[in-house]
Amino acid sequence: MRNLVGYLIRRVGWMLLTLWIVYTVSFVLMRSVPGNPFSSERTVPAAIERQLRARYNLDAPVHRQYFDIGWGIVSRGDLGWSLRLEDYSVNQVLAEGFPVSASLAIFGLVFAIGLGIPAGIISAVRRGSFADLSMMTAAVLGIAVPNFVLASIVILLFVFILPIFPAAGWGTLQQLVLPAFCLGAPVAAYIARLTRAGMLEVLTREHVRTAMAKGLSPQAVVLKHVLPGAMLPVVSYLGPATAGVLTGSLVLEKIFAIPGMGSHFINAALQRDYFLAMGMVLTYTVLLFVMNSIVDISYAVIDPRVKLQ
Amino acid sequence: MSQARPTHDPAAAAAAEEQRRETLARLLEESKQIRGNSLWSDAWRRLRRRRAAMASLIGLIVLVILALLTPLLPLQSPIDKDLKNRRLLPPEWGAMTMGSREGLGFAEGSLVAELRRFDAEIDELRRQRGELSDPAERSAMDEKIRQRTRVEHPFNQLWNKLGPVSHLMCRLRVSLFGDYAIPSIFGTDKLGRDLLARVFWGARVSLLVGVVATLVSLVIGVSYGATAGYVGGLVDAVMMRIVDILYSIPFIFVVIFLITFLGEDNVKVWLQDRGIEQITIFYFVIGAIYWLTMSRVVRGQVLSLRNEQFIEAARTVGASTWRIVFRHLVPNVLGVVIVYLTLTIPAVMLFEAFLSFLGLGVAPPDVSWGQLLNDGVEALSSVRLYWWVVVFPGAALAATLFALNFLGDGVRDALDPKMKNRD
Amino acid sequence: MNPPLLSVEDLHVSFQTDEGLVEAVRGVSFDLGQGETLGIVGESGSGKSVTNLALMGLIPRPPGRIDRGSAKLAGRDLIQMSQKELMDVRGRRIGMIFQDPMTALNPLMTVGQQLTEVTRRHFGLSRAAAQTRAAEMLEMVGISAPESRLRDYPHQFSGGMRQRVMIAMALSCEPEILIADEPTTALDVTIQAQILELLGDLQRRRGTSIILVTHDLGVVAGICDRVLVMYAGRVVEQATVTELFASPRHPYTLGLLRSLPRLDRDHSLRLEAIPGQPPDMTRVPAGCSFRARCPVALARCADDTPPLREVATGRSSACWHDDARQPAGVASISPDPSPVAGG
Repeated sequence: MRNLVGYLIRRVGWMLLTLWIVYTVSFVLMRSVPGNPFSSERTVPAAIERQLRARYNLDAPVHRQYFDIGWGIVSRGDLGWSLRLEDYSVNQVLAEGFPVSASLAIFGLVFAIGLGIPAGIISAVRRGSFADLSMMTAAVLGIAVPNFVLASIVILLFVFILPIFPAAGWGTLQQLVLPAFCLGAPVAAYIARLTRAGMLEVLTREHVRTAMAKGLSPQAVVLKHVLPGAMLPVVSYLGPATAGVLTGSLVLEKIFAIPGMGSHFINAALQRDYFLAMGMVLTYTVLLFVMNSIVDISYAVIDPRVKLQ
Repeated sequence: MSQARPTHDPAAAAAAEEQRRETLARLLEESKQIRGNSLWSDAWRRLRRRRAAMASLIGLIVLVILALLTPLLPLQSPIDKDLKNRRLLPPEWGAMTMGSREGLGFAEGSLVAELRRFDAEIDELRRQRGELSDPAERSAMDEKIRQRTRVEHPFNQLWNKLGPVSHLMCRLRVSLFGDYAIPSIFGTDKLGRDLLARVFWGARVSLLVGVVATLVSLVIGVSYGATAGYVGGLVDAVMMRIVDILYSIPFIFVVIFLITFLGEDNVKVWLQDRGIEQITIFYFVIGAIYWLTMSRVVRGQVLSLRNEQFIEAARTVGASTWRIVFRHLVPNVLGVVIVYLTLTIPAVMLFEAFLSFLGLGVAPPDVSWGQLLNDGVEALSSVRLYWWVVVFPGAALAATLFALNFLGDGVRDALDPKMKNRD
Repeated sequence: MNPPLLSVEDLHVSFQTDEGLVEAVRGVSFDLGQGETLGIVGESGSGKSVTNLALMGLIPRPPGRIDRGSAKLAGRDLIQMSQKELMDVRGRRIGMIFQDPMTALNPLMTVGQQLTEVTRRHFGLSRAAAQTRAAEMLEMVGISAPESRLRDYPHQFSGGMRQRVMIAMALSCEPEILIADEPTTALDVTIQAQILELLGDLQRRRGTSIILVTHDLGVVAGICDRVLVMYAGRVVEQATVTELFASPRHPYTLGLLRSLPRLDRDHSLRLEAIPGQPPDMTRVPAGCSFRARCPVALARCADDTPPLREVATGRSSACWHDDARQPAGVASISPDPSPVAGG
């Protein structure tokens, strides 16, 4: 338990350091663009200029601004004002987008795990069979076909040719199915491959033979002695998988016109909305840290030999 | 065969010694040969046995050759728009003539004729220049000719920024195929451009990004990882901590942020003044985010090899550091590097497509597959079913990534026999 | 003599590999009596482990296959049994321990979980009863504070302790036979002795029959009653321990004995390795497979495979030299004519 507390403290420490670096880099980039919100020839709409003025001393020296904005983030969690969306603070944009993106991501991940792990188990247990071959080919396809290609194919198939699902939008379960599927598919493919490889590797370990020699049924051997070990690589993949899902949602939110964080982020980038982009990067950094910490902890829970550090 | 007993006869002892020496020399010779063909030929043998990987390899080689030879192929223009007559045409087999679109204003509506006319014009200018005697007039004329050939060349209307080699290939193509062009069997896009040609020209950019960005990541990753692993100690600890921090930053978002910054007009101008093209930066930005894993892998390999017994053995027999690095470390690290390389190329290509799809990557008039797909998806959401604008570029990208992944798996299994049970 | 507990008859096992068909076991027969300790000795690849895995029905199929033969445990043929029937034999009637206790235990489960699994499976014990039983077993194999150690994971035990856990696990359903596949190879020498002592002790107390697979004749001398010497998938000699060490019949056995370091021998004599290597199992030559390395090979050995024949009561050998009443060739190459009993 003390182990865990120490680990969490260290993780938070690293996270703060990383956030500070991200903030500094973003600030330097933002400040060094001519026409940036703090320069005299700024190019922000008048209404937004008013907001900025109300909040920051736009004529203060650089180090002052660096400190002020940073302090705003630390003390109030205030990420600043959108430079393109009038009357919207970055926090408001995030508050609106986050639940949407989060539910999409969670659905995508759940779908990926629910499909990937059983497929991997079946493939490994029936190694070399037709089921194995077809599932593993599908898995390579799933990895090879980019999210947005898959999205266009499913739109062609299930929206235009066989109109089962709506093409775009947000709010109903039906509208969630296609984007979640496209988001989860590559992750599911990876998980299936990792599960299969992990299973095959653990199956060659001697302790599996020991378990067989005890007279356990093959099902019990697979479930109790093979699967937990085979899950270790899958668990460590969940960190990158989260990053992948977050990335994927950028595209899918665009294609399916979903009002999540991702679409805001793309717009922020395209329209040079630095405050919003910085806020997004900071948010995503925190998300990734949290997810990676969960992954580390679950790994240590499954494998008692691993020490958290 | 009974065991030789020690004997006290000196002649016999000398003979036995001689014989032993010969045996050892022979063994040494044999062992050299064994090493000569061990890892790589073994790997090649294993790779050849995997039919999917071999088929992928052949397919990729064909793709690369086609991409290299694209200017030579009788394709339509990838950039010439025809908003009036050819928007979003489905795949068709009607023959096409190069330069026939009226808007181009080509002589006789033919590229061949226009080229002949243009060449004649240039020749005429050259002749005039020969007659001039005043050096100032001469250089003015030189300038005029250069301007003409560079700006007003008919190729400029059909292709985007041809390099010298591509220019020659296009000329060769005109002399080989004349005005013939392959019909729009992939259909046309919403600006009336031929999709087949765009997919081919897009392949050049997409593949180039994949290879160049991967090489960038290779150079950074290998030198970083090898340094950390070989120097070790505090340096290693600090270097790897930095990698850890970078790992926990959601890089794709940072890259988008960075590209946003680089896309700012003033920055663009600043860069262009220094002769740096947007696309070059693009390669480096992508390459710069994929080096992390490479550096970790290489560092791990170097670290474990450093303590490996055979390195120790090499050291005890007095091999120099240089020799140890190049004879022992490099070949052993090369294996993991190649394995990782085959996995990075598709990842990088995917990332390029992803960025281009979001409009943050390759900018028009350059074409890439991601961009084509972006156009395709936009066209998709309309009332009619313009399936071809999505299906063909999508299939090209997916098939390439599919082949690269299969090849990567095959190479990994071939170079790493310990993992051979995994697939 | 009582009927044997286990009777193996003409067992053939082969594996399909990339390099071709490997006939790992080629006609092995032996009996195992009640309460007897049988040693099976041979180099790696001689088929000794495969023989035992075949008895347990643990040959991976594919690539492995049992081509022929029977193995009757109290009259029931293990080879013919279905997997379901075998499941009731494994762990219940035949227990097995493996070479490397570092890898033979599941690193992700506590020792307690792994121990209770067996008794719950075969005896249908409740969780609590299985726990008690597991603690008893740990105590029996000499692990102190068994209750608390049940909650530990394998990596918290030393190598010797893990092997004790393995033994406890294998014996917790009181099987009639314990197969120990190189149980001491991976351990330190002092720990080896302790484990062998433990096995011998348990055997005396419980009367379990033991099949001890090893390549180490020293181990055999320590605790076995009878020895089977295997070479290239065949039994080449079978004798009681005393007889084997006193007067080895087969040239291979002799070679093995000579390569054994011994305190009672003149130290100036070099240990003699058997020259050459075991045959490539994908291309076992016709005739006696030991021929190429045999110091006394005859012309005949190249064509005919010597069968395993009874050469004296309870003792058999597979060598053409057995035809001569006095195995002249064998005797003449022995540097040490005085019989040395194992022990």
